[in-house]
Parts: sequence; structure tokens; C-alpha cells
Amino acid sequence: MGKNQSHYDRAAAGFFLIVGLFFALYSRSVEVGSWHEPGPGFLPFWAGIILTAMAFALFLVSYARKAWTARPSFFPQSDSWKRVLVTFLALIAYNLLLPPLGFTLTTFLFLAFLVKFIFPQTWMRTLLVAVLGAAMARLLFINFLETQLPKGFLGF
Amino acid sequence: MDILTHIALGAQVIFQPINLLFCFLGVLMGTLVGVLPGLGPTAAIALLLPNTFHVSPVSAIIMLAGIYYGAMYGGSTTSILVNIPGEAASVITCLDGHQMALKGRAGPALGIAAFGSFIAGTVSVIGLMIVAPPLAKFALAFGPPEYFSLMLLGIIILIYLASGSILKALMMFVFGLLLSTIGMDAISGTQRLTFGILELSDGVGLIPAIMGLFGVAEVIANVEEEIKRTIISTKVKNLLPNLQDWRDSIWPIIRGSVLGFFIGILPGPAPVISAFSSYAIEKKLSKHPEKFGTGVIQGVAGPEAANNAATGGAFIPLFTLGIPVNSVIAILLGAFMIHGIQPGPMIISKYPDLFWGTVMSMYLGNAMLLVLNLPLIGLWVQVLKVPYPILFPLILLFCLVGVYSLNYSLVEIALMIGFGVFGYLARKFQFEMAPLVLAIVIGPMMENNLRLALVISQGSPMIFITHPISALFIFITLFLLISPFVPWIGRRRQKLQEKVEGEEV
Repeated sequence: MGKNQSHYDRAAAGFFLIVGLFFALYSRSVEVGSWHEPGPGFLPFWAGIILTAMAFALFLVSYARKAWTARPSFFPQSDSWKRVLVTFLALIAYNLLLPPLGFTLTTFLFLAFLVKFIFPQTWMRTLLVAVLGAAMARLLFINFLETQLPKGFLGF
Repeated sequence: MDILTHIALGAQVIFQPINLLFCFLGVLMGTLVGVLPGLGPTAAIALLLPNTFHVSPVSAIIMLAGIYYGAMYGGSTTSILVNIPGEAASVITCLDGHQMALKGRAGPALGIAAFGSFIAGTVSVIGLMIVAPPLAKFALAFGPPEYFSLMLLGIIILIYLASGSILKALMMFVFGLLLSTIGMDAISGTQRLTFGILELSDGVGLIPAIMGLFGVAEVIANVEEEIKRTIISTKVKNLLPNLQDWRDSIWPIIRGSVLGFFIGILPGPAPVISAFSSYAIEKKLSKHPEKFGTGVIQGVAGPEAANNAATGGAFIPLFTLGIPVNSVIAILLGAFMIHGIQPGPMIISKYPDLFWGTVMSMYLGNAMLLVLNLPLIGLWVQVLKVPYPILFPLILLFCLVGVYSLNYSLVEIALMIGFGVFGYLARKFQFEMAPLVLAIVIGPMMENNLRLALVISQGSPMIFITHPISALFIFITLFLLISPFVPWIGRRRQKLQEKVEGEEV
């Protein structure tokens, strides 16, 4: 509560400060070169320095300005974070399960899970969407567009 | 007459059955994503790009372009019937369009939006035909310093027009530049920041980045809470505007077309800005400005024409300079490169079939859209009724498969999820996506031109100022960067920001 844009800006400034420094330092391990002969590390080095400087400026500005408009809370509903987190986890799970389970089965599980648990639908609807979705996706991507998707242990 | 041979060439290209098919698929998909709120043309084009690898570059570009202008058509349908803009550029159409629908005049509103878009689309294609070739010839004189300065200017105009905070947008741009340096260095062949991951030596992929930033991030933002929509359920009838409607609309359409075309050439969220500008102009010119917002047809016709004309204008920098003005054009540029076409002023002379074929496809596509949108309006209303809880898993699935089918790489899926997290958080922190996407696309070009220019000048950065064209670009860039601190200009800019805030560029 009571957070305004300046808190957000300070957090973002911290993130970009680290990113900028990281690139500036890392680019020194490849050749930076000089103005006469810019090397592969030239742009990452200077862009990293510039980003660091900008992050620092954002940090200063967030203290300098007085009138901040209040921001709505980070999540619009108290349970929003659960849906957001679970959706991200489902995406990661899809990535991990795709090789062992194969495209069709993983897709079925992925669709069923999201339809049932994010904005809960009836089981009937869930199965209908998941079965049809997986079947149509299989037809479209594998049979029609001939995309080479993992087959998994079931072989389809 | 030179232009007639070119038109004939373009017609030859577009009337090949395969290209007709792809043009149709493009405008169909475009209308679909335009109608659906929460899925924009940027994500849709990124989704379909991997599936165009098997076809010729001309067919691919024709389809992808169709999605772009098709989305502008579809967006108006949602605005008028649901009062939710299907597309950022249709925000303004909600004002009078939905009021017309409430008064039982949804038909003429949809009709004039479609006809206005058609006329504007045609005007902007003619403009494209007239302006692009000479501009491309002029750009042939550009060397590395000119290109570097021009890209810098382009990105600054984008930031200037599109962003709340110039500092934050610049940070996103520099961050994008840094990301674009990951991979093998084009000049020396050195591996940079790849951490031994093979997939990264080709650089951070544009498609995973865009799917993450625009597809995944947008869906994630939408699962935060369930959105309820009410659709005007009365049957839409009398799509043809009557004579009085035409008399009221024809000048707003023409003014909107010309305005939209010229704003479209500039970098930034041109369809959005041009729609707002057109509305403001029509209100100012009207004898009854107080009636705007209560359902006057001018308030629909002008902006809808303007946002369509802007999409045509946006192709000019792409075909003449190889420089993207917004995220959609950036992906098209990526498509050029994937299909082995070097973007730049040589495109029109080197690939005349590509340029004239695309231009002619836009004529035909606009006609197809008219057919798709007027008789099939009932179908689109049905699409609007698909509940989001069922829709979003399917959108995510498309993102996953789209990215995977690019290189058959799970690393790229992981990259997409990473960009999804970043994009979701960055929006919460009020950072813009467009500068980041553009930086990833033009970053490598900027770097090469910068380094080449420095090699030419033997290390003197003064080369950017001693070359007159480059100096002009640098001068305008500096002016734009300083001007927000001038109170009078700063205030005007702020006013513009309030209008376009939070829109997808």
C-alpha cells in the first residue's frame, strides 16, 4: 500500500544498473578496441556504460520529483498473482514435458490444465476444449504444416 | 508510362493463385486478431512468421502485410459493438461508434468504417506508389554515417511520440541494443555473451522476443482478472450507409486518409495518433462539435480512414530505407532478412516483384476486407462471444508452437518465456516495449554502420557532423531530445502522451 511510481522507478533503476554494469564488465573480456578501430566489445561496453548512467539518472529523478500520482496496486485482485504464477509455471512445464511426452499429449494436458484451473470451467467444457484443441493443433501443425514436433514415448 | 508496367508486374504477382490465397489468409487472420481484444497484429504476425518459411518471400510478405491492415478493419468492429477497442488504433472509434450502435445504427457505423477504411487504404497505396520509388533513389546516396544517424533519428522520433518518460524509453532502447549484441559479431566473428549456448550465437531471436513481449506478456496480464464484456446483441442490419451518411462522411474520410498517410511515414504509433488527430480535426471543423461523442458518423469515418491510411504510410520507410517505424514493420523487416532479402534502398529496384506485388496485394486485400467485413459481420460477432478462459490457452499454444517451429529449439521457448516475464513486469513498471523491439531489430545494423563509419573516418566521431545529410539528422535528434525541457513544447508533447498512453506501438 501507499506505493507510488517512484518506488517502481527505483526498483527498475536498480535492475538496469546491474544489467548495464554486467554488460560493460563482460564486454571487456572480448576486444573493446578504440575509436580508431572499434572491436566487437565496443558497442556493448559503451552501451553498458550509458545504461548504467541512465539508471543512475532515473534513480535521482525518482527522488527529485515531488508530485507522484498514486498507482493502483501491483495486482488488480488479491488472487491475481496465483493465476499469473501458475500460467508461467504451465508454460515452463510445457517446455520440459514436450520432449518426453510428445506434442499431442503435452498439448492436451496444457490446455486442460489452463482451462480447468485459471478461470475454472466445468469438466465437460475442459475436456471438450482440450481434446478438440489438441486434435486440431496436431492436424494443423503436424499433418498440414508439417512442423517437426517431438513425438515422445507414445510415438505421436 | 513506367508506372503502368510496374502495376502490370504487381498484378501478375498478386493474381497467381498462391498469392491470392496468402493475401486472403492474411486479411482473414488480421480481421480475426483485430476483432479479438487482447491479441494485436504484432503478436499475430510474429505467430505466423515461422509458418511462412516454406513459401516464397513475396507470398510471405503479402500475407503478413494483410494481417497488419486487416487488423485495423477488425478493430473497429469490436469498438462499435462491444465498446472495447479490439485494437489500440480503434480506441477513438468507441466514442461515436458505440453510441451509434446503442441508437440502433450499428449497421451504418460498421459500414462506413469499412468503406472509409477501403477508401483510405486505396489512397495510401497510391501514395506509397508515388512516394516510395523516388525516395529510394535518394537514399542510395546514403553511406554508413547517414544510416547510423537516420536510425538514431528514427528511434528518437519513436520515443518522442510514443512514450511517457523519454528517459525510461531510452533505457529500454539501450537495453535492446545490448541484447542485440549477444551472439557472433558480424565483423570479427567473435562470440559475444553467448555463455557457451549454441542457440545464442545467432543472436537473441526476434521471434521469441516478440512472442514473449507481445503474446505471452499480454495473455499473462489478461489472466489477472476476468474481463466481462457485453455485446450489442440486436441483429446488425442495414450495413449500407444512406446518402446523408455519405454526404456527412466523405470529407472526413478524405481528410483522414491524407492525414493518416503522412503521419504513417513517421516512426511511432501512427495509426493511434492519426486516428486521434483526425477526430480532433473533424470536431474542430464541424458545425456541431457538441454532438461529437453522441454518435455522429463523422467521428467514425474520419478516424477509421486515418488509421488505415497510416498502415500504408508505414511501409514507405521499410521499402525505401529498410528502417522499421513500429513493431509490426520491425517484424516484417525481420521477415525480409529471414527470407534472405537485404533491406534498404535497393529493394524496389532489386526485387520489383516483391515491392509491386505487395503494393497491388494491398489494393486487392482492401477489396477482400470489404467483402469479409460487411457480409460476414455476423461471424465476427460470434467470434467475439468465445469466452477468454477458453481462448487464452489456445493463444499460448500458438506462441509455443510458433517459436518452437522456428528452429526446433527448446532454448528459444525458454527465451520466449523469459521475455514474457520481462514484458509483463516492464509494463507494470511503465516501460515501453517498442523501443526494445526496434533496438533488437536495428541494433546489429546500427552497430555495423557505426563501426564502418568510424573506420572510414579513421576514428573521428566528427564524421557524423561533417557529412551534411547525417548532420541534419543528428541536429533534429538533438533538438527532439532537448525540446521536452522547453516548457511550451514539453506541455504540448505531454498532451499528446495523455492521448496515446499505454498503446501498443
